[in-house]
Amino acid sequence: MDNDSQLVAGAQSGDQQAFAELVRRHSAPVFRLAVSILGREFIPEAEDVAQEVFLKVHHAIESFRGEAEFSSWIYRITFNQAVNLKARVRFRSPHADETVLYRAMTPEPGPERQAETAQRDEALAECIRTLPEVYQSALRLYYWLGAGVSEVAVLLGVPENTVKSYLHRARQLLHGMLKEKGYSCD
Amino acid sequence: MDPRDAGIDSLLRRSLAAPVPSLSPDFDQRLMREVRRGSQPLDRYGRILLAGYGLISALTCGVVMRSRGLDWGAITVTIIGPLALIAAARWTRRRTHTTMKHG
Repeated sequence: MDNDSQLVAGAQSGDQQAFAELVRRHSAPVFRLAVSILGREFIPEAEDVAQEVFLKVHHAIESFRGEAEFSSWIYRITFNQAVNLKARVRFRSPHADETVLYRAMTPEPGPERQAETAQRDEALAECIRTLPEVYQSALRLYYWLGAGVSEVAVLLGVPENTVKSYLHRARQLLHGMLKEKGYSCD
Repeated sequence: MDPRDAGIDSLLRRSLAAPVPSLSPDFDQRLMREVRRGSQPLDRYGRILLAGYGLISALTCGVVMRSRGLDWGAITVTIIGPLALIAAARWTRRRTHTTMKHG
């Protein structure tokens, strides 16, 4: 099977099959990265980002010189595209609230406990939204999308140790913010 | 992992647990349709329209510059020069790519 650089060379010379194979290989990780930046409220937008990314890549593939991995290049484009879109959709009402999704999955024993949990989850979601983009993305990839540290490192284009430090720092910050809001993390 | 980290870790695991989304099954086909549509060369009507627009723009620029007292040589260089530069840049880039691929 052709590797990415052979497929890129094919796509650069106008081979649509080669480009289709690149799409097939990279569409899922591109979507995961986009969704990790935009969050659960904007899943349809993440798919739009994935489409925009591939259209951009198709348009600019001739300028790709192979100095970096094709995957790193496309993930960098995805990150920027998703962050730009996020800035635009920030004030739009989301399709589904993050805590509603959670509540639908985990029934709680009583209404009082359920309300408490919902409040804490809402506070946590709010705190997460104030973190730097890379921390948010690393958290969602790791805790929601089930990505391992190595996958997060590839998608964010950083070493594994940096991902571990992002996660550690994000947990510390969240712990502090929740404590300030009067919630316990135990 | 220290106890403080463990507490927030388990809270995050519980709180962020939700169905993992995936791309629509027809994403690849839809995207490739868009790609093909975007990379289609202009049809005959489009080419005529673009050429007509270019010609009228060049003529208008020429007439305006002439009315400002420029001679025809300078007008020709001003209009043709940038077009020639773009063409040369494209040609150079294409040549570099071909050399890199075969080199």
